[in-house]
Amino acid sequence: MLKSKQKLFLTGVFKWIIALLVAFLILFPLYWIFISSITPSGELFQRPINYLPENPTLSNYIFLLKNVGLMNKIISTVIIIGITLIVSTIVSIMAAYAFARYNSLGLNIAFLFILFSMLIPNVVTARPLYDFMRKVDLYDTYPGLIILYISQVIPFTVLILRNFVNNIPISIEEAAAIDGANFFQMIFNIVLPLLKPAIATVAITNFIICLNEFFIPLFYANNIQVLSTAITQLPLQGNMYSVPWDLVSAMGWIIILPIIIFVAVFEKQIMDGIMAGGVKA
Amino acid sequence: MKKNKSMLLIAWLLVLPALVIRGFTIIYPIFATFKISFYKVSLLRGINEFVGLQNYLDVFKDPKVLTAIQFTFIFVVVSMLLHIIFGVILALILNMDFKGRRFLRTIVLIPWAMPMVVIGMAAKWGFNNDYGLVNDFIRRFFANFELSWLIHTNTARFAVIAMDVWKDLPFFAILVLAGLQFIPNELYEAARVDGATKVQAFLKITLPLIMKNILILSIPFTMWRLASFDIVYAMTSGGPGSDTELIAYRITTEVFTNLNLGYGATLAVLLFIAMLIFSSLNLYVANKK
Repeated sequence: MLKSKQKLFLTGVFKWIIALLVAFLILFPLYWIFISSITPSGELFQRPINYLPENPTLSNYIFLLKNVGLMNKIISTVIIIGITLIVSTIVSIMAAYAFARYNSLGLNIAFLFILFSMLIPNVVTARPLYDFMRKVDLYDTYPGLIILYISQVIPFTVLILRNFVNNIPISIEEAAAIDGANFFQMIFNIVLPLLKPAIATVAITNFIICLNEFFIPLFYANNIQVLSTAITQLPLQGNMYSVPWDLVSAMGWIIILPIIIFVAVFEKQIMDGIMAGGVKA
Repeated sequence: MKKNKSMLLIAWLLVLPALVIRGFTIIYPIFATFKISFYKVSLLRGINEFVGLQNYLDVFKDPKVLTAIQFTFIFVVVSMLLHIIFGVILALILNMDFKGRRFLRTIVLIPWAMPMVVIGMAAKWGFNNDYGLVNDFIRRFFANFELSWLIHTNTARFAVIAMDVWKDLPFFAILVLAGLQFIPNELYEAARVDGATKVQAFLKITLPLIMKNILILSIPFTMWRLASFDIVYAMTSGGPGSDTELIAYRITTEVFTNLNLGYGATLAVLLFIAMLIFSSLNLYVANKK
């Protein structure tokens, strides 16, 4: 009896050791970025690294706010992601519903096109798309960037939502139609409420995907900077190293902190989203 | 399924916005890429002439491209092997029944949710000889350790692959975990009754059951790696020399920096074809098993 209890205790300890090791590998680099961001520049370029900075300072953050226009970049990011999420969700729900509920050769081909287009990496279409965006004056504009962001998330969103619509029994809609509900009443009063959890899942995952997007703002914008492009273009401020680590760490932490909070709050929905579609952020 | 004509019209109207947006960003550009790949276009020298397959032949004489293809190959193969091996291990860890499970699963989501550029920028400094996290850690055990990781070919390549794994392994593991959870517990109980050890149960029950799952998972993961761009852009800019250039990075350099539009398009077409072949091959194998 005692022996099996001991064994249970030991496996428990073993599990915790492994779990803490994994947690350490992930969290310690993030901690290092954090303490770097609050270490005064003079102490930052020292070896060995001091993991408990003696004179913590917010000067890097203040510099970002005052001299690098951090607020503008945050606002740009929020505008682009916000509109992308709203429009892409609406457009995707419409398409997903149609793909799930109607059937014709043309529609099937259209669905396959959207799925297949996921296979085409950004870099293959990059230059012609860039020239086109310039020609129609969408280069470096909010509408242009937002269209590209929306396009980026459409295939995955449509795919996931279509699967969810497929799981709603069509008999519910037929019953509503017999009761005299018109098309819009049916969508708004029956389908959308049932889709709510699925919509939350894709919106949360798409938020992360958009926040991580780098290729689009890098090549299709110049003056408009989002957080992910801004971190690669911070000024060196006369330090002699190849990386403005004081500012990069602060900027990095500004991006990482909301992500950590977001992940902690929405852990369940994100897990569902990942497992439903295998999304790449 | 609803069938009559007016209903079908509604369906097309609903699908239209998604199709237009997707088509606008995909169809025209992909045809344009194919077309330009048969032209010699150099914006710098003002050239624009039809050259047939010349660009395609030039690819195999271009040392920079050959290096990029070589490293892309190494990057994809090594990274995928590490993903599969450690992904299964991490999935087993995430599947452990203990109090900290939810906490661990949350932490594991963080690298997935972080932008690759942030990781790349941090890694650029993290692998710095004097002030980086990696060497500082090693020096706690081997006080005289000195290495500038990113200026030597092999260590730079290793570092790039390591960061790629750091970011995406947890994500891969979560997807393996999804497969693990479908295995009914009764199977393990039956095995235990029959006297199988835990290792035997893993080798004879778990592994065969998740193998197909892993194979299918590996398709998108390999595709993403074939087209990886952010990591190299942020971490090494392709250096030292062009030794850590991935093919996607090479393409953007050709079309946006060197302005060799035709040649860059050729590389893009070849990448696209490689991805097509790879994905159909994989689907074929996965369906067969």
